[in-house]
Amino acid sequence: MTTLALSLTINGATHEVVVPPHRTLLDVLRNELGLTGTKENCLEAECGVCTVLLDGVAVNACIVLAAQCRGREVTTIEGLAAGGELHPLQRAFIDRGAVQCGYCIPGVILAAKAYLDEVAAPSADEVREALAGNLCRCTGYQKIVEAILSVTETR
Amino acid sequence: MTPGTRIVGRSLPRMDAPGKVTGTALYAADFALPGMLHGKVLRSCEPHARIVRIDTARAAKVGGVRAVLTAADVPDVRYGGSVKDEEVFARDRVRFAGQPLAAVAATSPEGAAAALEAIEVVLEPLPAILDVAAALAPGAALVHEGWASYTALPILHRDGNVCNRARIVVGDVERGFAEADRIFEHRFTTPSVHQGYTEPRAAVAQWDSSGQVTVWSNTQLPFEIQTTLSEILQIPPSRVRVIVPGIGGGFGGKLRVGVEHFAALLARRAGRAVKVMTTSEEELTAAYARQPAIVELKTGVTREGRLTAREGRLWFDTGAFAGSGPGVASVATLMLAGPYRIPNLLLEGRAVYTHKTNFGSFRAPSGPQANFAVESQMDIIADALGLDPLELRLRNIVHEGEEGPTGQVLAAVGLEECLRKVADAIDWKNRRPAPGRGKGIACGWWTTTGGSSGVYVKVNPDGTVALNTGAAEIGTAALTGAAQVLAEDLGVELADVNVVSADTLSTPFDFGAQGSRTAFAVGNACRAAAADLKRQILALAARQLGAEESALELRERAVVAADGTRVTLAELARISQATGGGLIAHGTFVAPPTPYDAKRVEGHVYPAFHSPSFHAHAVELSVDADTGEVTIHRYVVAQDVGFAMNPTYIEGQIEGGVAQGLGQALSEEIVYDEGRVLNANLTDYKMPTAVDVPRIESILVQHPSLVGPFGAKGVGEPPNIEPPAAVANAVASAIGVRISSLPITAEKIALALREQAP
Amino acid sequence: MLARRGVVKTPFRGRIMPPVSFDYHEPTSVREAVELAARFGADARFLAGGTDLLIQIRRGQLRLRHVVSLHGVPGLDAIEVDGAVTLGARVTHRRLERAPQLGGGLQALIESAQVVGGHQIRNVATVGGNIVNASPAADVVPALLALDAEVTCLGPGGERTRPLDGFATAPGVTACRPDELLTRVRFRPLPPHSATAFLKAGRRRAMEISLVCVAVRLTLDASRERCLEARIALGAVAPTTVRARAAERGLQGQALTAQAAREAGRMAAGEIRPISDVRASARYRTLLVATLVERALARCGERIRRTA
Repeated sequence: MTTLALSLTINGATHEVVVPPHRTLLDVLRNELGLTGTKENCLEAECGVCTVLLDGVAVNACIVLAAQCRGREVTTIEGLAAGGELHPLQRAFIDRGAVQCGYCIPGVILAAKAYLDEVAAPSADEVREALAGNLCRCTGYQKIVEAILSVTETR
Repeated sequence: MTPGTRIVGRSLPRMDAPGKVTGTALYAADFALPGMLHGKVLRSCEPHARIVRIDTARAAKVGGVRAVLTAADVPDVRYGGSVKDEEVFARDRVRFAGQPLAAVAATSPEGAAAALEAIEVVLEPLPAILDVAAALAPGAALVHEGWASYTALPILHRDGNVCNRARIVVGDVERGFAEADRIFEHRFTTPSVHQGYTEPRAAVAQWDSSGQVTVWSNTQLPFEIQTTLSEILQIPPSRVRVIVPGIGGGFGGKLRVGVEHFAALLARRAGRAVKVMTTSEEELTAAYARQPAIVELKTGVTREGRLTAREGRLWFDTGAFAGSGPGVASVATLMLAGPYRIPNLLLEGRAVYTHKTNFGSFRAPSGPQANFAVESQMDIIADALGLDPLELRLRNIVHEGEEGPTGQVLAAVGLEECLRKVADAIDWKNRRPAPGRGKGIACGWWTTTGGSSGVYVKVNPDGTVALNTGAAEIGTAALTGAAQVLAEDLGVELADVNVVSADTLSTPFDFGAQGSRTAFAVGNACRAAAADLKRQILALAARQLGAEESALELRERAVVAADGTRVTLAELARISQATGGGLIAHGTFVAPPTPYDAKRVEGHVYPAFHSPSFHAHAVELSVDADTGEVTIHRYVVAQDVGFAMNPTYIEGQIEGGVAQGLGQALSEEIVYDEGRVLNANLTDYKMPTAVDVPRIESILVQHPSLVGPFGAKGVGEPPNIEPPAAVANAVASAIGVRISSLPITAEKIALALREQAP
Repeated sequence: MLARRGVVKTPFRGRIMPPVSFDYHEPTSVREAVELAARFGADARFLAGGTDLLIQIRRGQLRLRHVVSLHGVPGLDAIEVDGAVTLGARVTHRRLERAPQLGGGLQALIESAQVVGGHQIRNVATVGGNIVNASPAADVVPALLALDAEVTCLGPGGERTRPLDGFATAPGVTACRPDELLTRVRFRPLPPHSATAFLKAGRRRAMEISLVCVAVRLTLDASRERCLEARIALGAVAPTTVRARAAERGLQGQALTAQAAREAGRMAAGEIRPISDVRASARYRTLLVATLVERALARCGERIRRTA
């Protein structure tokens, strides 16, 4: 099997990996780099638990080849808290009871962050639409939406 | 200050949230060991077949393969809950499409996949029993020819393809029907639906040199897995250690063995740790989804709307193995009665074998299916009698001190309050606000499952408290609730409590995270441990302060005497550790059995609801008359939770349970064709997205349980019960069309409307 | 227990598993990309957003020896408006949704882009990919079809431009050859008094493969009463996106009344033979076509009259 030597920038740090070309960004994050904050489930872009930011934009890591990430910035949940300070979204999710089993939460927080970076004061309906690609089975989405809106209100 | 309001009853943030929002919390799906192998399972494409040949020779030669197993390689053991009919791999005979045939472990996932491809399987397809009707037809073949020889709970009524018939008989239904002015007969059907947890089932197994195996798994029942693995591996349970690192949702789908046995068997053969994880396709094909159901309900009622008799039958397609079927069939009979006063009852639940996956337990097993039938029929009856559906219910619901269907005396019955509150909230007086727009109501009851829980508690020398419990946290925040109870009783803050959980070696037994029991049982075990610890603390403090124990109070992380002198909990813990072995206690709890009339039941493994909860749902929606699409405008729930230990997380259970229930009501179904699943992927298994779920308003009603910690009842399962009926009733109210099968899709509504149009 | 009639078909029967690996190429120019395609032919596919390709590879539906990434290829992602609108093949659904140059009469294009998957999909999935993947249920293709779009493919022998109408010949099959790269899609400006609309039906409100989708372009006369021309494109009711030509012709010269819209819907429904599958029955699809065409026409009428 041929392999590619890839230099990837994850959360501002450079990582060198050598992997077969078919390996996805999700594979590399979880299995090569031990960054298990990004989760694995359907592997076909239906559930959103693998959501990461690629140059600030939300994507499903399960259908992005690691090779496509050369020269681009990948942000995972591990990269969100700056210098030990929780991101306001992380804080809000804790305070508003938006976390239950928590498996969807890293993907949801990143999708929310990418959206709020674009739209400063969305409505509840707009937030729901922005999360359409992130399935949550525990919360019914309600406290997740409330947590996200609470962040926009305090800006 | 009222006792019990310092910590419990407050919406404190859950203890495991920081790990979850930062991605540092570890789930079984994340767990890995160095040098671990990847395991995969080969499954049958045929629903019923004779196994002619499984040849693994080529698979064993694929690069990186370290173990290949079939039935020939594992003990010939049948395991299971109420009936021991299950096997690890199909041996001689395949009984469902998706049944495991073989498993491999390899150094890479690609190698494991290639090995599966290299296994030669020759199956001779046999006629398959595709549904309950086929299984019960005269002369039907048997799914298990050897059914009578299987070990099973003696109380079950088994016969051929029926692996249990549970029954409740009260009074005389024929007399009851004779007393009725009107008799209503209806039939309802529901499909299989999947729990939809976002974390696949996963397990890592590793053997040590002394023949002990450790399995890290996202099971809800580590002690049950320990027992099952012991049976399968043929080693004593004490040589099996099950640890739960973290669970990404369960909803009942992670109760029984799913991948743990493959991981353990492969690891034993390979001599290395093995990880096995399910795919979406495996989840939707071969997991413990909800049993499809057929309900036939015959109810007699007087013209004033008093229920006189009910004859109800429910058939569950339990799949190729009995599994939860016999128990679910029992619970179903209580749900067919509903929270109503009906003097004459003949209620039967049957679990029937077919050639499908062995369905299992899904949040309130039997609840949505039976409640859909019962509450739909109540509305049909109300409509026929010209009565308000709310009024019909109010005339028949049970009250404090009255009897349940099996003769249990009901206490803490908050149902009327729930019904009246949702009716007010939804403005029920205005039931049909506009053409194509309507409101629906549904109510029900549910249990807080029993079973025992033990905890160890100790006070650390820094004054923090360690809670050691065998329960797994599946996401409900139940362990935060239990920790709140402990903090309350010990005079400390929630932040002072640290929880260690779910390790069969080092934590005490817990019956498991099922049946809405965890906060209830672990909370009570904590109260018992706290009481013991408090005695030790006060005795030691009395000696330190030179005071009488009766003059001492435990509060604010210290023991305080009447004259204001105090000693901190930390100091007491240090002293005890140095001179007495430490401040340590254990607590156990098992709910006292609920008395019932044993003469009323047969084949019944669940004859009474413990500390029952009561609930009412109301929904307002519109229906697009052309496309049949449903738009929900408002959804309100009132739930009698006994005592709201942590209101935010209880609301979370309600919001999540309703969302999951709406999925079952409107869009979810596992579709079978000739015994094979057609939509085994998340593209075509339609769970609600954030755009689909409406805002849900929760009203917490509190009629304290006599048994639960501070009066709490189980809260997790109930919200999943009423949504299908509430929606069906609202749709009927909006457009006069009654859909009696789930899911209530736009297609069904549109086609039914066109059938009705002149 | 399900009210289905007709043939029930399995959408696919893939198993989720890692693929046999492939060679990965990152050309840095269109010319280099085409050279690679010419060299590898049917053993290769272009990778743009990957939202169809990578899933098909993972499911075992496609076994490729070569994947040619377009990420480093410049010149394929422009949106140009010079009267006509030209969309580079790599324009994402996200950029389509947000393009200020679109909208107005071209609203259907935005509406169709907005309903594809969720944000994560739309951030990377491309217009070219949607065309070349040729799913019968594609959402953006009907909107482009209603705009009489043309697609341009570049091969070793040069460019070929052809109408999008007829470009897809079967599910997953287009007239783009293995050695060609689809570079852009273009459509002429709308005549005056025109509007477009797009509607989709699904079992959920998001993340849906359409049960039926409809894109309509309507052009009225100067009085905004009479139909001069209509285009009605239907998705998920045939092996490829199709036009309801009889319904289109039936509208010509007609006053745009509620009755005329309803009749056009009926005619469109009569022109198609959809399948029954796990998503919907043929009967429901037919009924949806009638309703959605009627509503899309009415919406176009409103949009045209609103700009008066």
